[in-house]
Amino acid sequence: MKKHQIIQNIIGSRKLLSNNFPLRNYYKKEGEGGCGVTGFASSIPVRGKHIFEPSRQMHNRGNGLGGGIASMGFDPGMLGVSKDTLEDDYMLQIAVREQGVMEDLEKRFIRPCFKIDFSEIIPHVEDFRDIPGLTIRPPDIWRYFVRVKPQVLKEFMEKSNLLQLTKRQAEDEFVFQNSFRINKTYYDAYGSQSAFVISHGRNFFILKIVGYAEQVVQYYKLENFKAHIWIAHQRYPTKGRVWHPAGAHPFIGLNEALVHNGDFANYHSVVEYLGQRNIYPLFLTDTEVSVLLFDLYSRTYGYPLEYVIEALAPTMERDFDQLSPEKQQIYRAIQTTHIHGSPDGPWFFIIARNDTENRRFQLIGITDTSMLRPQVFALHDGEVQVGLICSEKQAIDATLKSLADEDSRIGTVADRYWNARGGSHTDGGAFIFNLDETPSSPFERKLTCVDKFGKPITVPQGQAPYIPDSAQSMAEDRNGKRFDISRFFNNQQSGLLYEYVKKGIKDWDYGALLECLGQIKSCALKNNANFEVSLTALTKLLDLSYPTHDKKRRSILQMTNETLTSMFRHFPYLEGGKNGIYRLIDWETRQLLREPIKNEKVMIIDASLFPPEGDNSDSRLMTEAFHRGWKRFIVFGLKGQRFHGCGLGPGSVGVRIDIYGSSGDYLGSGIDGLSIYVHGNTQDQVGQIMKSGKIIIYGDTGQTFLYGAKGGEVYVMGNAAGRPLINAVGKPRVVINGTCLDYLAESFMAGDPLDGGGFVILNGIEFDDYGQVQPQPVPYPGSNLFSLASGGAIYIRDPFLHVDEEQLNGGEIVNLEDKDWKLILPILKENERLFGISVEKDLLTVNGKRMSPLKTYRKVRPKQMGIDQSD
Amino acid sequence: MNLNKELPEVVITPSRFKNPIGKYRLHRTNECIECGKCLEVCPYDVHFKIGRVRTKNHYRCVGPECPNPCYEACPVEALSLKRNPTFDTMGDFRWTPDLLVSTWYMAETGAVPPKGLEYRIGDSGGGFDRLRLILPPPHRTKLAMPDEEVHVGLELNRRNDSFPKIMIDVPFYGAGMSYGSVSIITMLSRVRAAAALGTFSCTGEGGYPDELKPYDDHVITQVATGLFGVSEETIQRVRIVEFKYAQGAKPGLGGHLLGDKVTPAVARMREAVVGYPLFSPFPFHSVYSVEDHKKHVDWIKAINPNALISVKVSTPTDVDMVAIGSYYAGAHIIHLDGSYGGTGAAPDIAKKNIAMPIEYAVPIVHKSLQKEGVRDKITLIASGGIRTPHDAAKIIALGADGVCTGTAELVALECIRCHNCESGRGCARGIATTDPALMRLIDLNWGTQRIINLFMAWRKELIRILKRLGMKSIGELVGRTDCLVHLDYMNK
Repeated sequence: MKKHQIIQNIIGSRKLLSNNFPLRNYYKKEGEGGCGVTGFASSIPVRGKHIFEPSRQMHNRGNGLGGGIASMGFDPGMLGVSKDTLEDDYMLQIAVREQGVMEDLEKRFIRPCFKIDFSEIIPHVEDFRDIPGLTIRPPDIWRYFVRVKPQVLKEFMEKSNLLQLTKRQAEDEFVFQNSFRINKTYYDAYGSQSAFVISHGRNFFILKIVGYAEQVVQYYKLENFKAHIWIAHQRYPTKGRVWHPAGAHPFIGLNEALVHNGDFANYHSVVEYLGQRNIYPLFLTDTEVSVLLFDLYSRTYGYPLEYVIEALAPTMERDFDQLSPEKQQIYRAIQTTHIHGSPDGPWFFIIARNDTENRRFQLIGITDTSMLRPQVFALHDGEVQVGLICSEKQAIDATLKSLADEDSRIGTVADRYWNARGGSHTDGGAFIFNLDETPSSPFERKLTCVDKFGKPITVPQGQAPYIPDSAQSMAEDRNGKRFDISRFFNNQQSGLLYEYVKKGIKDWDYGALLECLGQIKSCALKNNANFEVSLTALTKLLDLSYPTHDKKRRSILQMTNETLTSMFRHFPYLEGGKNGIYRLIDWETRQLLREPIKNEKVMIIDASLFPPEGDNSDSRLMTEAFHRGWKRFIVFGLKGQRFHGCGLGPGSVGVRIDIYGSSGDYLGSGIDGLSIYVHGNTQDQVGQIMKSGKIIIYGDTGQTFLYGAKGGEVYVMGNAAGRPLINAVGKPRVVINGTCLDYLAESFMAGDPLDGGGFVILNGIEFDDYGQVQPQPVPYPGSNLFSLASGGAIYIRDPFLHVDEEQLNGGEIVNLEDKDWKLILPILKENERLFGISVEKDLLTVNGKRMSPLKTYRKVRPKQMGIDQSD
Repeated sequence: MNLNKELPEVVITPSRFKNPIGKYRLHRTNECIECGKCLEVCPYDVHFKIGRVRTKNHYRCVGPECPNPCYEACPVEALSLKRNPTFDTMGDFRWTPDLLVSTWYMAETGAVPPKGLEYRIGDSGGGFDRLRLILPPPHRTKLAMPDEEVHVGLELNRRNDSFPKIMIDVPFYGAGMSYGSVSIITMLSRVRAAAALGTFSCTGEGGYPDELKPYDDHVITQVATGLFGVSEETIQRVRIVEFKYAQGAKPGLGGHLLGDKVTPAVARMREAVVGYPLFSPFPFHSVYSVEDHKKHVDWIKAINPNALISVKVSTPTDVDMVAIGSYYAGAHIIHLDGSYGGTGAAPDIAKKNIAMPIEYAVPIVHKSLQKEGVRDKITLIASGGIRTPHDAAKIIALGADGVCTGTAELVALECIRCHNCESGRGCARGIATTDPALMRLIDLNWGTQRIINLFMAWRKELIRILKRLGMKSIGELVGRTDCLVHLDYMNK
């Protein structure tokens, strides 16, 4: 029998489901905004408490009216079942809202068709009010490990015309349909809501409550419960009162749990599309239909993951043209068939999937074609491997910090962080972390990461990570041998100190490196001049790219961060009249804020305990300090706190802020005069409406970077995400050394760059694993460049003429002239000074040959409109 | 509460044109014997005598409704009454010639027209024009109560948070119109009138010209999708910041200033390029969801921790959800902009087809906020086609706390609704223009006084309506749908 006949039979068998089903003319989904999503996959099972901290970090992406988690891949002992039962049985979980309903439910839907291997009501905290902030009692969860009775399955297969399926496939379908029946009977978005199936897949479960995600962990006592994959979701329903968690994420297909951040514009159309395939949503959220789509493509149609992703987030425009003809043919067919089911609008999915056929767990992140939601991926390699996907980077850092505190084999910094480019030909906008079984241990899996097309994401091989305990003992073995570094302090040579340590990374082991950093710290604490030298040298270690030889870069960063943090924490608070330039302030001592006295100059803010926004945030404290006369700030310990530099207003020339740690959204948005140095990646909305001043980012930046900016100088060492400089006017001057996802400088209106206007220099380069500058495959991969722009220009380093007219809409590409080069050279020189990207050796050298700048760079400018501008 | 705040003075401010357009014309034939009878009988000063007896103020003539018609009194039948053909060429169904001329009358005199003009409703066949206030017969009402005892002020911050309280003295303020879409004289006239009335006027998204600085306390600055002219400094200057997510006249479309209107002055203000069209994106590219919106609000609060936050949205089908979400994100004011508004620059296809009519949206939002238990913590402002004090009273009875005015103010400056706001250098009457020569058609003091007069007339009329309803404050009218009847559903 042909494949499509089987598919038709499966779909046909579901027709019975909709019997007596109240069909609606129009589906109004529940009001819901975006949300916070986070997830990670680990090569060893880890405790539930590690999803706690990242969930907490994303409180401001939810409102405490819906939180949920899913976890996958367990130690069977923890669930009281055998390994075989865990792997083979369906873990059917029913959330009960009305006591007494289970007797009837069991009698009608469980006992007749399932063989129950184990069942329990899962343990929870006695009184939900013991958990601070929880106001609505979470549902009781009845858990059953079940298999479909052979006779029942046989009848089902015969009756439903599914004899061509394998037994397991038919059993999957039975479970799926049975759960639909349970929900139809006991749960109706418009009517009675006494119980619903919360999950039913193999080796994973979902739990959700009206509250925050981390309260799930507390309530159901999962702090010490171990699993390979954890995902969590903070919901932000716009409706103020929510009584039950059925609308919270994650949602199930069969063997997958999906959390979602976003909002579909075409919910109704997707529902119709599913209805044509006899699938009917019951919970009226776009998350539910998302996972139903995923399940339809993967299980019913049997598509490989790549095609599933294509059906959800189709490859469009120029990206489509860049695909091979074979791919185009398949993708076109997929799009033709499934475009009506493709979710339109902003969305980002994180999916935990048990690929039972291949005995593999997967953590998948998929972004929409327009890349309208924030997303960060990270890979931590080593003895313990972790793959992470989050809405915001600080959630990744929080996860790693939490994991590292328990297991020293895990570092606090990941090897790689990156963003996906939605619906692209390059990565497809999706990444998959696979956890495959290893022969060595039943509890250890191997983690690999691939993009939509199966291209692996790797880290440099042959590098050892820093393990604090063993480095400590190595250091002790050195018997206190000193490093000759005092000369750098005596002569104020921070640059040479940096070079010294850099060389040490090659020559020493981790023990020596740890010792050396310790010695730098003790020198630093002797006096202010020494601190200045240490700070500059260590900051360079964080900021710049250099070879790390047999060591992992993430480990160097972790050690440097730790050294810096302990140095910062050493400074005196504002109380008392101690001498010195530096003063520390933190959450506990924030009330001590006062104007600087004596020779006090630099305020060091330990941001770690401050809330991310609002009256008590550290950014507000900084504004207050500025108004009291402070001009230099160092902020460290950040966990996604927002709005740094906002609110200082005009007249902030001469103010400098240095940012260490995971900075948050809207950094420097609105600044007018001051300078901000960010030692690491930044997130979304950096430098919006910036008027003047300087932002230097030693890393990547996020969405809508410099939206509506009016001026200022900005240098980005790495990449920008989508829509940088949209609607920017005036005279911003910007260098992006990497590239951007798409929509660079849409509606750019920054005058004539040769006459005081603004421009962007896009270098399209990256640093390889050895710290060397390399060109990216193409300097600008997006389909839209400089659309509708009426002023300003983009200077793009493109010696191989990759950028073409097709990417433009209203702009034109012209050759560089001498006056252009004269304009941008000083900016590139400053870029060289900041990032070590040499104009001569890196930018103007192409394939080892020095090129003329006029042949290396190209200029994109607005097409002349033929309007007489003289009047 | 100070109910006796000094009100601005109404100063009679006639049209700036020699022959104002009225509804009627009186023709005087050669038969006239200059007896002066017409002068004597006319209650409206249409005729006068300087040397000869002449008919000058045609526009004041109330036509057949005149209790004492001159043309009947004329002993030689030298006078005849005709409808002014120019009058009938003006306006449209929504802004009928009657409404235009009566708004001019209010802007001139500070009072509603006595007779002859329908000043309360238009002729659109729907919306406010099918709704009527049910006013009890005069003898059963509080008409005797002095005007001073009727409170029409409105508190804008009802959250009881750390933000300041801001009371406006009339239940309306000026909606956003950008520098570039209207002239600086128009902007200044609006904001000076707002200052005189103790209320606000919004800058729109085209920047915050320095000329407005003296009136900072009465300016709402707008953060709209183009972010034109928005800087920390402008946000810190004001007491209210308005986020414009969408405009009821053209939801799903961003602002669009055609190249011709981008003069050097406009380009300077917006820091853009002269002669090129200026687009605002249709959404905020930084805000795609409610938690993005909250972050957006938090950002403005970080820049100016004392400014109230107003969120202006259009009226999609899920407007109730948007309003509740905005409340929880920290907004003080929800500003619903319905589909009847917009100047000539908004495309007709958008104005007439996209957003939900405001009289549908307001009750939905009012009720869902009530159901949510937060109605008394947020100020609900309606706009989009509020042409008259009667429209304002109707939408308040449907559930709004107050309204925003836009086109009415332009009409006070003698806009004739020719719908050519966007083309060329803009308005032939010097209102919606950026052309220096056209701009000079309006004198600032004249413009200011005209808008003051209009608003004083509105205020007086609102008080009269409240008194007729037996109410002592505008707050009592909120949500009183029992005071309204829809002609389509009226018991025959």
